[in-house]
Amino acid sequence: MNYVIRRILMLLLTMLIVSFLTFLAFELVSGDVAQTKLGTEGTPEQVAALRHELGLDQPFLLRYGQWLGGFFTGDLGVSYYNPQPMWELIGPKLGVTLILAAISFLLITLISIPLGLLSYRLAGSPLDGLRTAFNQLCMAVPPFFIGILFSWFFGITLKLFIPEGFPSSIRANPGEAMTQLFFAAVCLSIPRIAMTVRMMRSTVIGEMQKAYVRTAISRGNDRRGVLLRHVLKNSLTGTVTFLAQTLAELIGGSIVVEQVFGIPGLGRFLVAEIRALDYPVVQTIVVILAFWVVLAGTVADLINQRIDPRLRLGGAK
Amino acid sequence: MNKKAFAAILALLLTLALLVGCGQAAPATPTPVPDSGDTPAVETPAPVQSGRAASNEIVIGIAQDLDSLDPHHMTAAGTQEVMFNVFEGLVKPNAAGQIVPAVASEVQVSEDGLTYTFTLREGVRFHNGEPVDMEDVVYSLTRRMDGADAAAKNVALDVISDVQTEDDRLILTLSEPSGDFLAYLMNVYIIPMDYEDLETHPIGTGPYKFVSRAVQDNLVLERFADYWGEGGKVDKVTYKILENNEGLVLGLQSGALDLVNHMTSEQTSQLSASDFHVEQGSMNLVQALYLNSGVAPFDDVRVRQALCYATDKQAMIDLAFDGYGIPLGTSMFPSFSKYYDDSLTDYYPHDVAKAKALLAEAGYPNGFEMSITVPSNYSPHVNTAEVLAEQLKEVGIQVKILPVEWNSWLSDVYTNRQFQSTVIGLESNNMTARKLLDRFASTAANNFTNYSNPEYDEILARAISSVDDAEQTEAYRQLERILTETAANVYLQDMADLVAVRNGLNGLTFYPIYVLDVSTLYWG
Repeated sequence: MNYVIRRILMLLLTMLIVSFLTFLAFELVSGDVAQTKLGTEGTPEQVAALRHELGLDQPFLLRYGQWLGGFFTGDLGVSYYNPQPMWELIGPKLGVTLILAAISFLLITLISIPLGLLSYRLAGSPLDGLRTAFNQLCMAVPPFFIGILFSWFFGITLKLFIPEGFPSSIRANPGEAMTQLFFAAVCLSIPRIAMTVRMMRSTVIGEMQKAYVRTAISRGNDRRGVLLRHVLKNSLTGTVTFLAQTLAELIGGSIVVEQVFGIPGLGRFLVAEIRALDYPVVQTIVVILAFWVVLAGTVADLINQRIDPRLRLGGAK
Repeated sequence: MNKKAFAAILALLLTLALLVGCGQAAPATPTPVPDSGDTPAVETPAPVQSGRAASNEIVIGIAQDLDSLDPHHMTAAGTQEVMFNVFEGLVKPNAAGQIVPAVASEVQVSEDGLTYTFTLREGVRFHNGEPVDMEDVVYSLTRRMDGADAAAKNVALDVISDVQTEDDRLILTLSEPSGDFLAYLMNVYIIPMDYEDLETHPIGTGPYKFVSRAVQDNLVLERFADYWGEGGKVDKVTYKILENNEGLVLGLQSGALDLVNHMTSEQTSQLSASDFHVEQGSMNLVQALYLNSGVAPFDDVRVRQALCYATDKQAMIDLAFDGYGIPLGTSMFPSFSKYYDDSLTDYYPHDVAKAKALLAEAGYPNGFEMSITVPSNYSPHVNTAEVLAEQLKEVGIQVKILPVEWNSWLSDVYTNRQFQSTVIGLESNNMTARKLLDRFASTAANNFTNYSNPEYDEILARAISSVDDAEQTEAYRQLERILTETAANVYLQDMADLVAVRNGLNGLTFYPIYVLDVSTLYWG
């Protein structure tokens, strides 16, 4: 119970700080949305009138207070450009990004854990050098670059999907949409898979040198049995934490990948809205992202507690 | 046994991973994915054509989302370019640069130029099927005239002193003659009276009607069957928003897009001729190194002239634009043939010695340091600034390029005039010469270059109020000459508008303003 309360408080605090910093960033950045909206045609009087209409002529803290008040009463504000309800605007984009993140996460988990164990088995063999080099390469190549390669190879050459041709909505052509999301997810996953594999490998190697492994083996268990029955479980807490981090970072990575593939997700939307100085939308997206990150950490904690009962006591090693 | 179990688990997991992939990818095959044929594009026309040509639709790539769907609130040129197909005013522009009747069928102007009588066209319908009546017209006009809605107000309409209606006729009385009045009415788009959902589901009278929009992603239009005129030929038009330039090229190559305009020669060179043809028009804007005459050293006419002599615009166009672009010498471009004076183009030939002499005379024998502020998201302007920096170095001027966000450019350069010089293109969104020239009046709110010249102000005032066409034209030409002679800015070029069009798609028409008329496009 105590834990849940602590988590919720932390969530609120994170969202508060993040939203305040975002608000502040927009205050400090030069440019004025009223001016931007009216462009080169607006007269100074029109700009002033529009600033008033949008409430931009009020002091900074008052505006933040109003936004916060609105947020806690379920009013997320209205976009300066698109006056439909905030959720109608953000919902479809969030959906796309969630699917992208889910596919990526599934790929990362399902591929990196077995691969991590396998790569431990390679330690010391001549293939190991090759594996290390390949792993380094996968970690070093940024997703956007893999994205460009994928667009050319799988899109233009093999015609498995149409680069920049994401359907006008997922429902309009679910096949094409999901194919694009799958390839984007693979791009997003490759570096994270490489990182997770490396991380697992070193954890397993460290774990295999521990006394309990020696004891288990000296009692007649074979290495593989020990690996799967004991070492895997003991290596998992670190991996789960790492995967939770991954889940949080996937959102950040999706901003780039969505740009490359032309996928209408939350990340691409965020970039466009920042450029348009559309604070109400940016604020909402930032809060969603903060929520996402804290949630990922919480889920990791909960899973780790199931794996390792010692963690349930709250802090003991 | 354990080894086997391990192998089995691994195999299972990998298969699962594969299945996830295939599971997502599988449905793609039965749906008609255009461009999925494996025959080389050289031999047969790309299957894309048959796909979208068969369903009679096109997809156009654009670089930015629309700033507003409310036609009285939109200000971005890119929005105007798209929504030109959805909305109409009483009058509208045609490709030849004339103002022709649209929702009105006839316009009569009294001799003294003070009374305009519009006859409402019969049978004009809104996209929701309702007929357009006089109430709608008056509502649309007054929405842009009074200040109740700050963003919709158009100050150019302040000249209207009285609005009367008489059956199917609208009579506007002006407080003073205004030679360009009709041009300012083009943007008074006719919308249904008291219609509330303009921002989300706009309704107009144009040849295409709004269907749907996904913010920052796409906009879908459909042919309006009840259009009063000839109407469009293509049934469905999708605008796809792709902010990065690479995306637009890739989208064309992949078959996602059929047409993209405002491309650079570097981009069009990446397209294969068997799939695309490139049509060249002009952007109809005045690209220049705009100088802030309000600050030293540009308050000295000799310094400004020195900059003009130091600049080699043709070399700049060759270097940064692969030779595409028409050199300019003043604030006017060739599409406005009536007002354009070509003799001004080479008023300042490239002459380093002369530039140095003028600089010495002005007290800068060793040159000086200056900055060029450029909107960083417009790569043509950034490239131009880079070439200019090199050219100016030859006469001893050290240039520092300051790239800024568009929002900062608008507020710092355009509004607050906190800059030394900037490279930008200025357009005339209503097809009038006045739009290009009246910003250099010393008191103009949009005179961001702080140009001040009493003689200019006087001639401009005369030109605006003139109802005699010949006299007005002559006055505008005089203004152009003054701008050149006083080297108001370093005029560069009217940039080329390169449009990549998928082979099989025809009918592209260039307008002297920033619009893309999709009603003339057709497959065949």
